[in-house]
Amino acid sequence: MSRLELVIRQEFRILSADRTIWIVCAILLALIGYSLQSGMTRISRQEAVAAEMLDKQAKADAPLMAQLKRIQAGEERPKPFANPADPSNMGSSLGVRTAYMPAAPLAPAAVGQSDLFPDQFKVTYRSKVYFIYDTAIENPWNLLSGNIDLAFVIIYLFPLMIFALNYNLLSAEREQGTLRMLMSQPLNLAALLAGKIAVRASALLGLAVLVPAATLSAARPVLFETLAWWSALVLAYGAFWFACVVFVNAFGKSSAVNAVALIGSWVVLVLIVPVVLNVAVSLAAPVPSRTEMAARTRVITTEVLNRYAHELRVDYQYVAKPEVLVPKDGKIEVPSRMRAFYHMQRDVDAEIQPTIDRFELQLAKQNALARALGILSPAAVAYEGMTALAGTGGRRYAHFMDQVETFHQAWKAFFIPKIDAGTAITAADFDLMPDYTWTEEDAPVVRRHAVQGVLQVLVPAVILIGIGAWRLRRFSAV
Amino acid sequence: MAILLILTSMAVGWQRQREASAEQQAAQELDYRDWLNQDIRHPHDAAHQGMHVFKPAPTLSIVDPGISRYAGTTVWLQAHRQSDLKFRPAQDATGLQRFGDFSAAWVLQILVPLLVIVFGFNAFAGEREQGTLRQTLSLGVPAWRLLWGKALALGAIIGTLLIPAVIAAGFAVVLGAETGGRADAMIRLAWAAAGYAVYFGIIIYLVLGVSALTPSSRVSLIALIAFWIGTAVLAPRAASDLARRLHPTPAKKDFLAKMETDLSAEAERIWQEKFGVKAKWSPDLPLNKWGIALRVDDQLGYAVYRRHYDALWDTYERQQRVQEWAGLVVPLLALRSFSMGLAGTDFAHHRHFTEAAEEHRHLIQDLMSEDLVKHADTLDHQHFAYQAGKDLWKTVPQFQYRLPAAGWALRRNWPGLAVLTAGLILSFAFSAAAVSRLRVVQG
Repeated sequence: MSRLELVIRQEFRILSADRTIWIVCAILLALIGYSLQSGMTRISRQEAVAAEMLDKQAKADAPLMAQLKRIQAGEERPKPFANPADPSNMGSSLGVRTAYMPAAPLAPAAVGQSDLFPDQFKVTYRSKVYFIYDTAIENPWNLLSGNIDLAFVIIYLFPLMIFALNYNLLSAEREQGTLRMLMSQPLNLAALLAGKIAVRASALLGLAVLVPAATLSAARPVLFETLAWWSALVLAYGAFWFACVVFVNAFGKSSAVNAVALIGSWVVLVLIVPVVLNVAVSLAAPVPSRTEMAARTRVITTEVLNRYAHELRVDYQYVAKPEVLVPKDGKIEVPSRMRAFYHMQRDVDAEIQPTIDRFELQLAKQNALARALGILSPAAVAYEGMTALAGTGGRRYAHFMDQVETFHQAWKAFFIPKIDAGTAITAADFDLMPDYTWTEEDAPVVRRHAVQGVLQVLVPAVILIGIGAWRLRRFSAV
Repeated sequence: MAILLILTSMAVGWQRQREASAEQQAAQELDYRDWLNQDIRHPHDAAHQGMHVFKPAPTLSIVDPGISRYAGTTVWLQAHRQSDLKFRPAQDATGLQRFGDFSAAWVLQILVPLLVIVFGFNAFAGEREQGTLRQTLSLGVPAWRLLWGKALALGAIIGTLLIPAVIAAGFAVVLGAETGGRADAMIRLAWAAAGYAVYFGIIIYLVLGVSALTPSSRVSLIALIAFWIGTAVLAPRAASDLARRLHPTPAKKDFLAKMETDLSAEAERIWQEKFGVKAKWSPDLPLNKWGIALRVDDQLGYAVYRRHYDALWDTYERQQRVQEWAGLVVPLLALRSFSMGLAGTDFAHHRHFTEAAEEHRHLIQDLMSEDLVKHADTLDHQHFAYQAGKDLWKTVPQFQYRLPAAGWALRRNWPGLAVLTAGLILSFAFSAAAVSRLRVVQG
């Protein structure tokens, strides 16, 4: 039996007799349980809403098609603004499609940005500037307060549990006078410390990794790789705080000093640095002004109103001649005002794009900067990494917006030629209309960011352990 | 370090507030000028284009930005529907935003209590360990006097630390407030400062009470730090969870679906009643009734939107009440609400602005429809051929918004202050009881 093994066995015996470890593990377990339970409830509600929407969408076309057939057969008088034969109506709210982002398998683990950004958009011919800035419905106060999700438990509270069990690893032995006795044995300090930590780390890290992994993979179709990266991130983050414990203990101060030093480092790294970093990043790469954007939208709207004034001025014909609502020989009279609306929205989209691009560029810069500066706070890195893996981070939302954009373009491209040519919608068109399908993020991108995150947390951990090991050699047992 | 953080955060707040105010004013002017200078066009098209109004950043947002990062700043007053306020600054930030908002309020609410703990945890426990407590008590110094003295000392330390911050905030308010709003902003600042003083009082007595009660300074420190962590990171989230469980926020889909159903039902009823047609804009409605139809349709919408948004916002306010009352256990929650309530950055102020903007939207719509009734409905079988010009645009006044007066804010936030005061009394009683147990022999 090696010395290390001996220490581990001994520590295990001592610890199991001590109440502290049981209390800490019970608290950790309760917090993980609570956060997972509320995460699962949140996601199952979100998925129920999405399923209902998909179901409704799947059934929406059939009655329209039937109505179209009745209109073509002359059995029904079309409504002026809800006429399935009219491409300007179908491209608008009548044929509306919902673009959505499904909840990722690990979504219950981190709320991330999901309470701020919507996961569904109704896409019509309307310019995207009128719908992409919608937000999810939530009390701003709650957004400000945050959530108790698994990511919060790991990032904020897990380090404190590590401290509770480890702040006095060597100092307590010395304060009780037992360290001297131990050191008189053929045992070096590093082995003693490693043994003590091994027992505590396997209890805490084991709970923090295995319980969520087992629960989530039982409840959801979790991908092994995503779960492995999540677990690696939790382990790396835990390892960082254990490294802090080694570092602090190696200085040989009293238990009280150790405790204060550890809490101090937590306050700085978890509470202060991320908050200051957020301000620093937003000052270094400021986003342009939204007020200016609103003003720009307005100017463009005024211009397009003038541009299409001649089309807007023409009255609806159907009031005098209701027969214009009925398609004839594959053609239909698209009201001049409706055509104008399409042209206006198309032009607004094209002309506001440079302004939108400037926002996206700055935000991308902020994100790159935040990732680079993450090394200053393992908490910030772990948070970004966890939300990314849970599919609730900024990157996946940006990916979603790209798909919304592509779909929006395809939707307009389908309808505008028909509106210009006055081509009536036929039953066959229902199959040709663009459909929105969600594509998941590229696996290599996810992997690269996950590796980067894990390394950004591990490197400082290794450095701390290195310094700690060096200090330990000068440690006095007395 | 605390002073540095407070001053830096105020500088950031100052810069943000100045920038936002300047932009907001410029944009508001520009928007109105564009409205006045638009070409001749059909009034309903003008209504469709509408106006944008921008929420001003209150002066005290320098100290406490409250919910402003998570609330929209711009609203488009368009025809037919009430819009949500768009452009929440948090949407233009990285995920780091979710760690919290760097502001003077954050430093005062979260970090200063930690400072009180660091300075005060061994006030009694430390003296007991050194044996000086026994000496002092044996001299016949009453325990309550000791408590007062130590509380005063701690208060003085915190006070000295905060004086530069208070002076800076005062200056910022004097310089930053628009003319006319200065006195009001000072009143708000004074009340907010009183709220913070009560909060620090609670923390000071709590720290001293725990220090007197615990057997050693180590236990005292651990107990206080545990309380602080519970307060600073766990309580706001737990209280939000609790508030949401008691008063659930509706899903967006349900909210919108209910509103749409209500709108259609109401429209069907009223269009039938007024025009005898089943569907909106039915071919049976002659063009010379479109002006009045627009007015009727808009106005039935006002009531439906109002009903639904009121219900949603009342839910938000009920959620906030839960948090205020939770302040009896965790004073931070009551203070947070009180502080942003007086800074003008809470939900009540946001709602006040939103309602003012919606009123203005009604005004635009009603003026445009009235003009259509007068001029388009009288053209025989034309409607959109009618074009209005500057004379009509001029009838719409510029949107003017003023922050409600300090008294308005106080009336809404007295429960927060009451809860804080109750907290101070409880905390004082606790420390007095803890100190009265100190005995010479025990020490």
